Amino acid sequence: MTTHRPTTPGTSPTQSPTKTTRSTSKSTSRNRRRTLVALTLAGLTLSSLAACGRDATSAGGEAQSDAIDDSPATGTIEVWAMGAEGEALDDFTQAFEKENPDADVEVTAIPWDSAHDKIQGAITSGQGPDVTLVGSTWMGEFGASGGLMPTPEGLVDSGDFFTGAWEGNQVGGTQYGVPWYVETRVLYYRSDLAKKAGWTSPPQTWDELKQFASDLQTKAGVDYGISLQPGQTGSWQTFLPFAWSDGAELANDDGTEWTLDSDAMKESLDYYSSFFTDGLAQTHVMDAGELESGFADGTYGSFVSGPWHAALVEDAGVDPSDYAVAPIPGPDGPGSSFVGGGNLAVLTDAENPDGAWKLVRWLEQPDVQQDFYDTVGDLPANSTAWKSGDLADDEQLAVFGDQLDRAVSPPAVPTWEQVADVIDGRVERTTKGLEDVDQAVEEMQSEASSVGTGL
Amino acid sequence: MSSTHAPRPTSNDNSNDGNDGKDKTPGRSGATSPHPSPEALDLPRATGAGGTGTAEAQGSKGRQGRPRRRHDPTARSQTVAAWVLAVPFMAVFLVFTAGPVLASLGMSFTDIRSTDARHPLAVSFVGLENYTRLLGDELFRKVALNTLLYLLLGVPLTLVVAMAVAVGLNRVTRFKGFFRVGFYLPVVTSIVAVSVVWKFLLRENGGLVNSALEAVGLPGQAWLDDTHLALPSLVVMAVWRNFGTMTVIFLAALQTVPTEITEAAESDGAGAWARFRHVTLPMLRPTILFGAVITGIGYLQFFEEAFVMTSGGPLDSTRSISYYTYDQFGFGNYGLAAAASYLLFLAIVLLTLLQFRLLRSKD
Repeated sequence: MTTHRPTTPGTSPTQSPTKTTRSTSKSTSRNRRRTLVALTLAGLTLSSLAACGRDATSAGGEAQSDAIDDSPATGTIEVWAMGAEGEALDDFTQAFEKENPDADVEVTAIPWDSAHDKIQGAITSGQGPDVTLVGSTWMGEFGASGGLMPTPEGLVDSGDFFTGAWEGNQVGGTQYGVPWYVETRVLYYRSDLAKKAGWTSPPQTWDELKQFASDLQTKAGVDYGISLQPGQTGSWQTFLPFAWSDGAELANDDGTEWTLDSDAMKESLDYYSSFFTDGLAQTHVMDAGELESGFADGTYGSFVSGPWHAALVEDAGVDPSDYAVAPIPGPDGPGSSFVGGGNLAVLTDAENPDGAWKLVRWLEQPDVQQDFYDTVGDLPANSTAWKSGDLADDEQLAVFGDQLDRAVSPPAVPTWEQVADVIDGRVERTTKGLEDVDQAVEEMQSEASSVGTGL
Repeated sequence: MSSTHAPRPTSNDNSNDGNDGKDKTPGRSGATSPHPSPEALDLPRATGAGGTGTAEAQGSKGRQGRPRRRHDPTARSQTVAAWVLAVPFMAVFLVFTAGPVLASLGMSFTDIRSTDARHPLAVSFVGLENYTRLLGDELFRKVALNTLLYLLLGVPLTLVVAMAVAVGLNRVTRFKGFFRVGFYLPVVTSIVAVSVVWKFLLRENGGLVNSALEAVGLPGQAWLDDTHLALPSLVVMAVWRNFGTMTVIFLAALQTVPTEITEAAESDGAGAWARFRHVTLPMLRPTILFGAVITGIGYLQFFEEAFVMTSGGPLDSTRSISYYTYDQFGFGNYGLAAAASYLLFLAIVLLTLLQFRLLRSKD
């Protein structure tokens, strides 16, 4: 029984000494061969990697593409778009196809959740659409990867667009794509409760906002005068408007270095965190739906958010006449805000770049932007579209339009998401009172510097 | 019994040469002769107990046997057939398993970022820099500590609860199936759904747990918003969700403990605890080892619960190594993320070795 299991050489206990040594030497030689193969493979991998190396050329700094002519678009134009835009765009572009009979627009709706990875896959493989909708905070990454085509000279007039949104498409000094729709953050407040607290018009300065929140608590009986995000993912979107209002610049002009440790940053973080330490804002991270129901039942007197919240608070039971929006207060008057939204970009490997840019140009026309607002409700990035129609007449929309004029987008650099996470973390430490403002801002800067901008 | 190995006639030569297959792996020699001819099968049987002799002969003649076999057309076609049959599996393995694993290992030694996606080879080799950066990163050290806490709190708790429930269930005679299904149910429920429900239970205002505490006059806690309570809260939830698996396994193991032994111990005057401690537990040692290893691996990869319930907060107090790796991939730091996942892999290997050492039977 035990004599024979020599399938693994050198393990049989009863084998003669000669046999044992022989098969042992055989097994070592096989092991040696195996090691050799592994080493060769590893060596090949490493040497091929080492041989390639990183090019010295930095990302961005590309020249803009050549101008696009005025002839009608031709050929198939493949478009990727996310969310409601993706669903509506196919029907919407029929008007374009009517104007350009030889062009065929094919829209693929993709979900926001997987959009980032899909676009990245398209950029990597070179197999993708001609035009794609790109989330505004992804521009740095995709632009720097070389996957997006620089915007052609003179495609649109940059002066027509909200400055913050337009600058959000500039990566290392090169313009990639064009802003399509925008969103910005404003102050939502319960106008009925504000009246009770003695405020017939919204606060405009930092001191007024503080007083406003405090009056809502003492005179109108809300639990928290304002709701601000106390930390965790995305709190920078609520905090940075205050920093920008105070004149903070997050990075230098060419986006190569972070400049977070400014006095404006410290001052604004101090102001922001005082709402938490003074008990004017809640300190816990809210669950989904908690804010809207709390706004409806008078737990929260005001909050900072984007245009989508109008529908949400009305769904939660707030009468449209009982709430209003106002620009975010700055230190001495109406302040800045965060501008986000979606940009239209053409991929470097697009099969029909000419048709693609013509479609983009068409979608950016003021009347088409207005139509798209009527269809989907997206706020146009082209500010001339705001000069007539609903966008000009609606009181609430006017506040957003006004805020957009002063809104800023974060630097379009590949590492923005990571630095945003750094800011979130330090905001949380400050609002929890674990770190003083000076220290938090200095840590922000040193962490951000070690991350770099990626350009 | 030499015949168990011997029928590996790779040629129709004499038995000595036929045994030359022995110095190869079973898979290979088996593959070269999927259909051995009857004569070939008979030969070793005829030599019978002379198996040792053939083994010795194999050592000296194996090398001669091999080139000779190459001239054999049947063997050659069989080799070809074997390769053809093996190629699909090998291709799938190389492309989808070995390839990515090696590629990610390679990535961990480079500074590859998401912006390099178009030219993945145009990156710089940075040696162990990603690894040293991780070890020097305050946040990584924190998430490593968190992961260790998940492990040290989660594994013993899961095993103890599972054992207690299994011992209890082993005595239940009625509704056995009902209880088993009940305890196992959380395991098959979607982890995200469970996490969302627990998030509501643990809410500071109006959560069921706080309401219950307040009903008996105890102060409610900010379970998921407190840096000290959030991680233990998640561990409790994970234990609740995971112990069902181990309960089922322990239950099966308990039923293999022979009643004669426990009865003998009982007649020797051993009490219930002494019987459990000195008879049942030692017999379950291999099962406990298995349980410790698989639950340990699970807790080292702790992710979903924290992702849904706390987003890693407050202040990173529930962020685990897996979560950190996920974040780094999200930030586009592919090289760093790959290095972090290899450190986690190393930790899992070390932990498993350690557990085998600590819990292996003392014989």
